Amino acid sequence: MAGELVSPTPTPTLRGSARRAAALRLLRRRLIQAVPLMLGVVIINFCLIQMAPGSFLELMTAENQVSDPATVALLRKTYGLEDPVWMQLLKYIWALLHFDFGFSYRQNMPVIQAIWIHLPATILLMVSSITLAVSVGVAAGVVASMKVRTFWDSLVSVAAMFFYAAPSFWLGIMMIVLFSVKLGWLPVGGMMKIGGASGGPLAGVLDILRHLILPTLALGLFYAAIYTRVMRSSMLEVAQLDFVRTARAKGLSRNQVTIHHVLRNALLPVVTILGVQMGTVLAGSVVIESVFSWPGVGSLLFDSVSSRNYPVVLGIMVLGSLVVIAANIAVDLIYMWLDPRIEIR
Amino acid sequence: MPRFGFPRFEFVGRFSRNRGALIGACLILIVALMAVFASVFFPIDPLRIVGLPELWPGEDPEFPLGTDSLGRDILSMIVHGARATLLIGLFASAVATVIGVGVGATAGYFGGWVDEIAMRAAELFQTIPNLIFVLTIVVIMGSTLTNIVIAIGIVSWTPIARMTRAEFLSLRDREFVQACRSMGMSDFRIIVSEILPNALPPVIVLSSLVVAGAILFESAVSFLGLGDPNVASWGRLVGDGRQLIRSSWYICAIPGIAIMITVLCLNLVGDGLNDALNPKLRDR
Repeated sequence: MAGELVSPTPTPTLRGSARRAAALRLLRRRLIQAVPLMLGVVIINFCLIQMAPGSFLELMTAENQVSDPATVALLRKTYGLEDPVWMQLLKYIWALLHFDFGFSYRQNMPVIQAIWIHLPATILLMVSSITLAVSVGVAAGVVASMKVRTFWDSLVSVAAMFFYAAPSFWLGIMMIVLFSVKLGWLPVGGMMKIGGASGGPLAGVLDILRHLILPTLALGLFYAAIYTRVMRSSMLEVAQLDFVRTARAKGLSRNQVTIHHVLRNALLPVVTILGVQMGTVLAGSVVIESVFSWPGVGSLLFDSVSSRNYPVVLGIMVLGSLVVIAANIAVDLIYMWLDPRIEIR
Repeated sequence: MPRFGFPRFEFVGRFSRNRGALIGACLILIVALMAVFASVFFPIDPLRIVGLPELWPGEDPEFPLGTDSLGRDILSMIVHGARATLLIGLFASAVATVIGVGVGATAGYFGGWVDEIAMRAAELFQTIPNLIFVLTIVVIMGSTLTNIVIAIGIVSWTPIARMTRAEFLSLRDREFVQACRSMGMSDFRIIVSEILPNALPPVIVLSSLVVAGAILFESAVSFLGLGDPNVASWGRLVGDGRQLIRSSWYICAIPGIAIMITVLCLNLVGDGLNDALNPKLRDR
């Protein structure tokens, strides 16, 4: 391919099995690095429990929702409340290693199971929002950079500023007012029609997609604004590099150069920021889920926060961090695929 | 003042040539004045019922922005809410700046294993989903103003720490620092009185952007109903109006617009300061 000749690759590109091996090495290193991170999250969790007013037992039993003395005695023994603090921490870590996050009496099931059944909805919302944010942001950034200092550039900048400043929950409510209440095009909230859609599995999927549109826009447009700005400045920067001039000099058209040479290299900062923001996307879905009554982890968290169901709140913090770490690893692998020069530390 | 005269004049000139930043700064000033003189303009408690419920903006000249579901003056609530919103944003940003500068300066100056630990800690705080962290802290420690401010500060310090660290890394081996060292000055004094003043300008720009982020955090927390019950910030007003979007959606819309304009202006000012401080990057 002509593009390969002028791509800014000083060392020979790794191919096939070599690349796969490098990806596996990266994966292994990342997994090892994740262990101290998770430990840190657990210790912060433990500190929060220790700092809270009231005893640890009161917290884990969520303010008198447990009254059975046998259960209390069991909890007392499990968490070793007579032990010194460091021993309690070790026991807490040991319990978490067995995925024992406690029991949620509100859902009447173990905490891990309560979170697990809410996780798919949240991941669906996260993935669709990130997809929207990246595709809209990259497209708008490319348009703005190709028509730099024109009307289109200003229009994109103003839109990006607007969505960067608007609180996502407010944007969501305003979209409900417009598209659901006034126009009646889209559902107000929830994930599917009550009682389920009629007409087979395909209708069900379409029904979920219809419910997904507004929450995705409300959550994704904020990030789209960030990626637009980053993409625009990174496109302008890459366009000044020598290899782009070479590509132009050998007679490729402007569009060909933009798509094959500039775009791919300009994507790297976007991917970097995407990795850093995984945590905030997950957190942002908490608010959006409560606006649209989307039945995900955010709704569960909101419910647990309101009812002071601490075991669930703490469990979501640990599992949320785990999801973020996993997403970060995925982003690193994408980064490596985009830019084979980089051996990520 | 001859000592600062020229560069400072140039800085002001560059800043004011940026029209967006100038407009942003003016609007922020207006919001700040609103916050300061709220009780002069609207001496009546904003949470008192003063008129008919659900009056649309413009329907009654006495209430230019209308009244909410209970008949409280929305304009008065917005003006009084400005105080809560701005104060929370400023204090949360101050907490984040103190933590971030402390961690970043120590990491950048000493390097080695101190740096390693500090950067791992920053990574840790970036991993925990920020709003979930804030909600957890607030729900366990209690929904008071102080706890909310501290919680937002705790999740917002990492960019400031990274920036401070980078500045310290580039400054710590300059001649003037080596001169101080050879004079036998203590590490603490070198950090605080020699390097920090030089490292501060870009950090201050970042802090102004953190104020904007903090306002968004606070509004989300209040919107979810976990804000301090004694404080009527703009986020809480949006949350309160949420039940009535079918009939009176303006109750929700107006405080949201106030949040958006304030955050937008803070971002514009931050960008303007950034451009004025780094003229080389301006045309990017």
